[in-house]
Amino acid sequence: MKDLSHLKKLVRNSLLFALLLVVFVYSYRVTGIDVARLVRDAPKARNIVLDFLHPDLFRRDVEIVTLDMAFPIPCGSAPEAEPAASGPRLATSVPCAAARERFALEGFELAPNSTIEIRWRLPDGRLWTINRVQTDADGYFQVEVEARPIAATADGVPSLIQADALVPVGPYKPSQTFDDVMANMLVTIFMALMATTIATLVAAPLSFLAASNVTKRGCIGTVVYYGMRSVFNILRSYEPLVMAVVFAFWLGFGPFAGTLAMTVVTIASLGKLFSESIESIDPGPIEALQATGANRIQTVWYAVVPQIVPDFISFIVYHWDINVRISTIIGFVGGGGIGYYLKERIDMLAYRQAATAIWAIVIVVMALDFLSAEVRKRLT
Amino acid sequence: MLSVQNLTKVYPNGTQALKEVSFDVQDGEFLVVIGLSGSGKSTLLRCINRLIDPTSGKIFWDDLDITAASPSELRHIRRHIGMVFQQFNLVKRSSVMTNVLSGRLGYANPWLSLLGIWPAEEKQRAIHALERVGIADKAQSRADALSGGQQQRVGIARALMQEPKIILADEPVASLDPVLSHSILQYLEQLNKDGMTVICSLHFLDLVHRYATRVIALKDGIKVFEGLPKEIDRAKFKEIYGEDAQEVRATSLEAPA
Ligand SMILES: Nc1ncnc2c1ncn2[C@@H]1O[C@H](COP(=O)(O)OP(=O)(O)O)[C@@H](O)[C@H]1O
Ligand SMILES: [Mg+2]
Repeated sequence: MKDLSHLKKLVRNSLLFALLLVVFVYSYRVTGIDVARLVRDAPKARNIVLDFLHPDLFRRDVEIVTLDMAFPIPCGSAPEAEPAASGPRLATSVPCAAARERFALEGFELAPNSTIEIRWRLPDGRLWTINRVQTDADGYFQVEVEARPIAATADGVPSLIQADALVPVGPYKPSQTFDDVMANMLVTIFMALMATTIATLVAAPLSFLAASNVTKRGCIGTVVYYGMRSVFNILRSYEPLVMAVVFAFWLGFGPFAGTLAMTVVTIASLGKLFSESIESIDPGPIEALQATGANRIQTVWYAVVPQIVPDFISFIVYHWDINVRISTIIGFVGGGGIGYYLKERIDMLAYRQAATAIWAIVIVVMALDFLSAEVRKRLT
Repeated sequence: MLSVQNLTKVYPNGTQALKEVSFDVQDGEFLVVIGLSGSGKSTLLRCINRLIDPTSGKIFWDDLDITAASPSELRHIRRHIGMVFQQFNLVKRSSVMTNVLSGRLGYANPWLSLLGIWPAEEKQRAIHALERVGIADKAQSRADALSGGQQQRVGIARALMQEPKIILADEPVASLDPVLSHSILQYLEQLNKDGMTVICSLHFLDLVHRYATRVIALKDGIKVFEGLPKEIDRAKFKEIYGEDAQEVRATSLEAPA
């Protein structure tokens, strides 16, 4: 008898274990987990990571400056240029060269990410284009140049290597990206604020209907109570993102659809939290104030409100915090604000601008997180 | 004079908490209600200010029929009946001052009171009420920062704001350390000497002997005794509390004079 039940247990546990194993193996396959690739493709991530560590925050005004340096061909035909040590400048790997010799030309401290035309200025004043180059994020470029016979020194006058370069001047200022990110971040924060505010205005009165100690009285009260609770529970089970897509069918994608989606989900969530807070109040003070001859409104104001307001405020701030995150994600699928900006930049492979947006999101989310924790701490 | 006549309370779930209870309370008495828990003490006290509506029976205050009062008449009646609770029933997150002022809501201008605006004279009255229970220095503290004994004193100060003629006290010392019981009851005794009628439910017999001018006892919602405290002897005690009951004392010390 006892052995049989032992055996049953063993069989059941083995079956359960086998089932779990199958599920896990299948999940592993479906997910396409490939650790080797994670290591192999690491170098691909390098530039992106570097860009991320290097957000686009500042800019300086730029000015077109013509830089030049004498370059004798062949050597000794004319005096060589004195290499400059700082400031926007050109430099060559050799001070002079024989015709057809190749050398490297570098530019330093130019405007970042700008296009520069490099040319020969021949002794007779004619211009001869060499190349167009792109500076990197540090305002640096390097290019290989051939010492063209046409650029040979004539009558002791050397040809010049010339570049019309954009060079940064004046103080550092917030970059265009920085301004754009701030503007979009504000849109996101305000979307979340609007959604949270509207949701609070709707949820606060409704929550009383879903509080058993207020509403669950008599037949109608009980129906209203369960009805309201069910509405909250059903609405709460939808992802805001899914809700945003639903609203987008009707209103088109944009901040409005996103805000509405967040509002609906926040109403449900706040409604439930508010009603639980109302359910947990101490009825003693209500009884005490009724006994003093206070009227109904005075009793609610002096005995109920002080008990629920701190909870309400902390829930509201907490949801604003949550909604900023959600609104970032809704933005990503087209809902406007910082999420949309981020997605655009990623699609354009503008990783430094994307990085700026991501940093902004991280900082704002952390700040709100801190703020809401702080508010909740103060209020308890 | 308060006159309770054939008071009966049946709760919706069928519990019969009071059965045909009748008694009179003269102005200036310190009437103590005793009885086991569940005997109906709280129900009786709450019927007097109609926090609970009795099923049948009448309560007259002089010529006034409390049981027949309309909601607005009832608020006027309640203004003159202070109440002190076992669990103090303060708004814990509000300041002591706000808790005390809220005892005055029945008199205050409803709109100003909702804006939290109180005339200087009412604030003065609140300070005075706190002085009478010896904790004026705590006016700005949060109610839950106070000890149990102090909270009950705030509860008494709140009742004093009503300038009550009657004070109902529902086991005012049952949540306190026994050594604090005398301190709280002495405040009630003082108010009684100042002319207020006190109706108070109590548990400990030594407290009853010390403070009551008259006693009624309830058992299962029925009045089983009415008389002077010294008339409760061992036999009476067993009758009220049951054969297994042992007399316990709130404190081994006698109340300081
Ligand atoms: N709201 C209520 N609903 C139903 N029964 C109640 C309610 N309040 C009290 N009772 C019952 O009525 C009886 C008297 O209670 P109560 O007046 O609180 O007694 P006491 O204060 O002497 O302990 C008890 O049996 C109690 O269970
Ligand atoms: Mg009781």
